[in-house]
Amino acid sequence: MPARKLIASSAIALVSIVLAAIIVVSEEQWVIAAALVGALALSFGIAKTSAGQDFAALLQNSGPWIALLIPAGTLAIGLAFHEEHFALMMLATVLIYSLACIGLNIQFGYAGVINFAGAAFFGVGGYTAAVLGNTGLPSLLILLAGGLVAAAIGCILILPVLRTKGHYAALITIAFVLLFRSFLEVNHTLGGPQGLRVEGATIAGQELFMGIEIGSFEASFYLNYVLLALVLLTIFFLLARFLEKSWIGINLDSVREDPIGAAVFGVNVAYWRIVSFVLGNVLIGIAGATFAMMQNFIAPSNFTFQQSLLMLAIIVLGGIGNLWAVIPAAILVVVVPEKLQAISEYRILVFAILVVLVLRFRPNGLFPRPMRHFRREVGQ
Amino acid sequence: MTKLFEAENVSVRFGGLQALDGLSLEVEEGTIIGLIGPNGSGKTTFFNTVTGLCRTVGGRVLIDGENITGLQPRHIYQRGVSRTFQRSRLCLSLSVFDNVVIGRQNSLDLTLFGNLFRRRRFVESVRENHEQVHALLSTFSEPLAARIFDPLHRLNMIDRRRIEVCRALIANPRLLLLDEPSAGMTPDETHEFMGDILKVRSDHPRMSIIIIEHEMDVIQRVADHVVVLNFGKKVAEGTFDAVVANPWVQEAYLGTS
Amino acid sequence: MAILLEYLFNGALLGVIYALVAVGFTLFFGVLDVIKFSHGDVLTLGAYSGLGAFIILQFLGLDIPFVGLVIVLAAAILVTGLAGIVIGQFFVVPMRGSPAFNILLMTLMIGTAIHESIRLFVPNGANPKAFPALLPRTPIDVGGAYLRLDSLLLLVLGIVVIVVTNWIVRHTKLGLAIRAVAQDGDTAQIMGIPFRRIVLATFALGSMLAGIAGVMNGIYYSEINFNVGVLLGVIGFSAAVVGGLGSIWGAIIGGFSFAALQTVWVLFFPELSGYRDVFAFATIIVLMTIWPTGIIAERYSERV
Repeated sequence: MPARKLIASSAIALVSIVLAAIIVVSEEQWVIAAALVGALALSFGIAKTSAGQDFAALLQNSGPWIALLIPAGTLAIGLAFHEEHFALMMLATVLIYSLACIGLNIQFGYAGVINFAGAAFFGVGGYTAAVLGNTGLPSLLILLAGGLVAAAIGCILILPVLRTKGHYAALITIAFVLLFRSFLEVNHTLGGPQGLRVEGATIAGQELFMGIEIGSFEASFYLNYVLLALVLLTIFFLLARFLEKSWIGINLDSVREDPIGAAVFGVNVAYWRIVSFVLGNVLIGIAGATFAMMQNFIAPSNFTFQQSLLMLAIIVLGGIGNLWAVIPAAILVVVVPEKLQAISEYRILVFAILVVLVLRFRPNGLFPRPMRHFRREVGQ
Repeated sequence: MTKLFEAENVSVRFGGLQALDGLSLEVEEGTIIGLIGPNGSGKTTFFNTVTGLCRTVGGRVLIDGENITGLQPRHIYQRGVSRTFQRSRLCLSLSVFDNVVIGRQNSLDLTLFGNLFRRRRFVESVRENHEQVHALLSTFSEPLAARIFDPLHRLNMIDRRRIEVCRALIANPRLLLLDEPSAGMTPDETHEFMGDILKVRSDHPRMSIIIIEHEMDVIQRVADHVVVLNFGKKVAEGTFDAVVANPWVQEAYLGTS
Repeated sequence: MAILLEYLFNGALLGVIYALVAVGFTLFFGVLDVIKFSHGDVLTLGAYSGLGAFIILQFLGLDIPFVGLVIVLAAAILVTGLAGIVIGQFFVVPMRGSPAFNILLMTLMIGTAIHESIRLFVPNGANPKAFPALLPRTPIDVGGAYLRLDSLLLLVLGIVVIVVTNWIVRHTKLGLAIRAVAQDGDTAQIMGIPFRRIVLATFALGSMLAGIAGVMNGIYYSEINFNVGVLLGVIGFSAAVVGGLGSIWGAIIGGFSFAALQTVWVLFFPELSGYRDVFAFATIIVLMTIWPTGIIAERYSERV
């Protein structure tokens, strides 16, 4: 890539990170509004200008090293504002929701398996963390367990989802997320409507609710969770990228686009639907467990159908199937309503309308998923 | 000559409609069968039955003596039957390469571990497959081969048909089913495409082909043997000249009696 | 015995409400092959419009039984019919070529926007609202069982509406056009049937049924809230699916079966009545697994 293009792309990346930092950190209403307008202009710039296209191509086609942009941006923001509790909590939440939405993208964006029960699997992860929190198991193991339990419970739905076609499968996941919430509300072993306390994470002997202190550097304990979520997101982001650019990725796409055509060419349609559903739920469950540990508390009201819709809003607004787009969209859906008082009350209404408009007029989202190709691999 | 494919008394029903009514058909290795008949006579249903998309209510389908009736489509594909569709079933948002390579299911590494963690080996296998797909595309059209990483929706009709045939050929099938390959093409494109089909035949002399076609000159040019269907039944069969001489076919097709 | 009769009666009333919602889903699916998931929230909209009309009537001093009911129903029907047309015209019809999931997700979001608007913009909208008793609540003694007169009238009303709907679809010119479009939209268009207008008329018709169901539901429970449509929508859709999307009688049977199952659950496990909704959703999942395309199979043809 010529130096000029590289400089332009770096500039876009830098501006993106700065805008993200402003939205996450600032408390001034007009500053946040201005940053949002800037972000909107930037997203149009990326879509319409050739420099923007180069940037998108760079994100899509570079080697795995490009994923370092995520830790670079996060660390820059996290370290610069290491004492700001609220900003860091927002940052960690963005990372956690991005992780969950990568899971949803594997299901819906790749294999076309729609999952309206995202919030339920997020909740399964959270409740797993709550129940296992007192057993003394290492936290990382509990996180993994959150993912596995979510996947296992998801398996109950595999048979109905596979046997039913199209719309009906969607109905089953909707029924499940409503069932999950009702069940938690009436079931007293899991705390009923009051919910459960969750033990915070302890990693390598360091309890994460204690902020890091090194000399004069004193950080909010939320920085610990930013780091934890960052590590998880970076790892799974890379794996999801590998998945997309693999033989499996091609199979999943063919299952989504035309299951009958795929079956005639030897693709095991049912198997790939199961694989994508299970993998997606693992990611969503891990994200839910991380979230629960950070919040120290979970209740059924966190895991409603509305939450599922907000998670889907993230992947639809960003661009279905585009992993990078998940991050700006998560900032938009998770952080902006917390910051902009003008819309905080109306957030669900606002995002519902936004999703309707995007589906109607720009169905590929703000940042459409680029087509997969192997030019770099075959040396073209 | 050895018998490659055999349909025995195949019957298919859609509700009250008898789509195939005791159809029998044999295909020898290395021959091209032309399947003709009016709209709704059961030609495409026959292909759908052979590839496992339609359930039979009677009869058997055999390939190399093995009964494949009732198997799932992907298992039938593994036994060397592949096809094209009348209305193209390519994935428009994917690249040419992805669309063709999907046909190589059986030789791709599809394990999670291999795909996620052995990336170097994956890149090697991409190169191998790229070479193969590129070579196959080149036998049809060099300019098309140069567009191997273009999105499919940018291709014109004839190139899409070629991709469909390439996808069907990439795994070296024993029986190739072509469903109205010339549909939607101009006469020139049809002519060019038939040249491609004949090339396929000379490159794969042992492969058998069944082709559904409305253009009689196409059938005349490529088919060794012609079968005529009407209302799900075989009404005539033989060489092109013999079938054309059949009074029923003359009436139905050529409008003379 | 008397208790049983009461259960049976309440189950029948629930069944009529579910069936009204399910018939709407069936009509939409028939003409456009789409699932319009905003249907449940259109129902909520209808109930709130009825409530609004009643408040105006009360203000004018015209809240007389029966007359009040007619005006409340008219308001609900008008608003839901309009909502159906607007959603169809501006969102569903233009999306015809898109993947089914996009339409599904979009209509879900439209529904969310509707009930969120109610929550936010109706004064005190987040809390349940008392729904007026538009019909006399006089208890009637039927063989020792006490049935409420209003419920009895609602049951009759619901059955009449269903019969009329069936008559419209079976015996009127509009119904003929609807059936033609449902059979094959493109051919119907060639035959000179104004496709878009018929689709919109169907959307209006189906949505009006939801409006009526919303008012009935309000009177029956004496209360409505902004979220009532989500549950009724899911149940109505499941009922339509179990009845084999596309058949009106299937939808009605589906609606009654759901009500029967729920009633039986409460009857046999009164101590677990808190789990009633859990059971309803579990039932949906199980039924859909056993009959993925409905008990009365959908005319299902894979277009190859």
